[in-house]
Amino acid sequence: MSQAVTPRRVPDAFLLVLGLCLAMAAFMAVKAGTDGIARAKVPGSSIIYVPSGQYLKYATFGYSPLAADLVYLWAIQYYGTYEIQDRFAYLDHIFSIINELDPRYVDPYEVGSLIAAQEAKDIPLALKILDRGLEKNPDQWIFPFEAGHVAQMVRDYDRAGDYFKKAMVMPGAPDFVRRLYADSLYKTADYKSAWGIWSGIYNSASDERVKKIASNHLYQVKAAADIQVLKDAVAGFKDRCNRLPRSLDNLAAAGFLPSIPRDLDEKDYVYDPRTGDVKAATIPWKR
Amino acid sequence: MKVGAIARNTFKEAMRDRVLYLLFFFAAVGIVASRLLAVLTVGDRVKIIKDVGLASVSLFGVLMAILMGTGLVYKEIDKKTIFTLLSKPIHRAQFLLGKFLGLVLTLFIMTVLMSLIFLGLLYAHTFRVEWSMLLAIVFMLLEFCLITAVAILFSTFSTPILSSIFSLAFYLIGHLSWGLEILIRKMRPGLSRTLAQALYLFLPDLENFNFKTEVVHALPIPPKMFAGSAAYGVFYTLFILILAMLVFRKKDFI
Repeated sequence: MSQAVTPRRVPDAFLLVLGLCLAMAAFMAVKAGTDGIARAKVPGSSIIYVPSGQYLKYATFGYSPLAADLVYLWAIQYYGTYEIQDRFAYLDHIFSIINELDPRYVDPYEVGSLIAAQEAKDIPLALKILDRGLEKNPDQWIFPFEAGHVAQMVRDYDRAGDYFKKAMVMPGAPDFVRRLYADSLYKTADYKSAWGIWSGIYNSASDERVKKIASNHLYQVKAAADIQVLKDAVAGFKDRCNRLPRSLDNLAAAGFLPSIPRDLDEKDYVYDPRTGDVKAATIPWKR
Repeated sequence: MKVGAIARNTFKEAMRDRVLYLLFFFAAVGIVASRLLAVLTVGDRVKIIKDVGLASVSLFGVLMAILMGTGLVYKEIDKKTIFTLLSKPIHRAQFLLGKFLGLVLTLFIMTVLMSLIFLGLLYAHTFRVEWSMLLAIVFMLLEFCLITAVAILFSTFSTPILSSIFSLAFYLIGHLSWGLEILIRKMRPGLSRTLAQALYLFLPDLENFNFKTEVVHALPIPPKMFAGSAAYGVFYTLFILILAMLVFRKKDFI
């Protein structure tokens, strides 16, 4: 009878599995430890040497839209990391890469300009990104529309008006873009042009809501233009008589105005003889 | 002794492989081409030479590890020379360890040669030996060791082509796994976050061996980082090698 031989592989396997587990535990522990060590970094080093999208496009081997998606996803995370103090330093560079890789990808232009305007407070950059969007997508009304809003943020109504004017004639642009254009004209004190546009909107309005909006704006434009005329006349009266007129009728009687204008609802403007201030009788939105 | 004999033979076999010289040739071309690229830059040319040179050493070193490592075990099985070897009193683990050490020695020699060309080119520009570059290269060598272990692991159960793809995937994951940390930071506490954290710790982090930025920009490196990276490399390589041994011990060659 031969004696049963104890299989040798059992302890071998056990030792190997034990070694495997120990090695795994060791490298995971070391990894957790090394993650806590702060390594010096060159600010923006992860992107500073990335070439422009124009050249990067050749390196993507036909997968440039995919590369644009990946860079865009990364950019969203990057700009969502508030610990990176100088993250706005390369904003234009990063978004121009995405724009070059996929010029028809609309979202990055919008998000890039939003980050530039709202977070980096860099209005010229926001407009630059949107202008680039329009240049590469001349059929997209959204870019001049957004640019108009950005220009309004810094009260540059002349520029806003130019953008809205551009957007409103583009295919697919909603009707309210024309109303924004008219409003920007009003804000630049171009009452004549604003009146013309609002009249056109009023006459062509297909529903009562838009008609009412246009009517209120027409009231506002007429009131602003009339008040300006009245205030000039009051100032002229004061120069000549060394006092403020007692009522607006004095202006017509003294020959400063042929007649006293009334608001769109045929109501008189409110005049304060103590200060010389002239106001509309009604708030346009409460008519 | 047995491991040493296998390692010596693996080294001799690897040094006879034409693929190795082809890769070395391209690595040398890459390093020397950094001089041409430097001409195109505006500003610090030496930085471009350092960047491209280090990248060439790293990239071609990894390619050597993958392309040589994935064929090591497979060739022995394919040519049936493994029967002769394993019929002798050699444990399968010793066989794998010998193969691993032989290839690591080959990679060490190749890395030294590539580094000499690189440092020589740098010397021609700066007239001083940039020893700090060696620091990055030493950790690259640790990365090559890990990649070699991975290539050997895959070659124990797969064909060279598939093993190369798997090893390359490991390399890419290793250099991109830091992205998972960003995702974890944005996750709410819970099971999915815990699982993601465990996955993050388990996945290879080859950025631990990447000191290229630090040496090129002469940035300080925390001393703890050296020890941590070295320990990480040793333990992860050990883990992969043990895994390869476990797979290989059950391998049926018939």
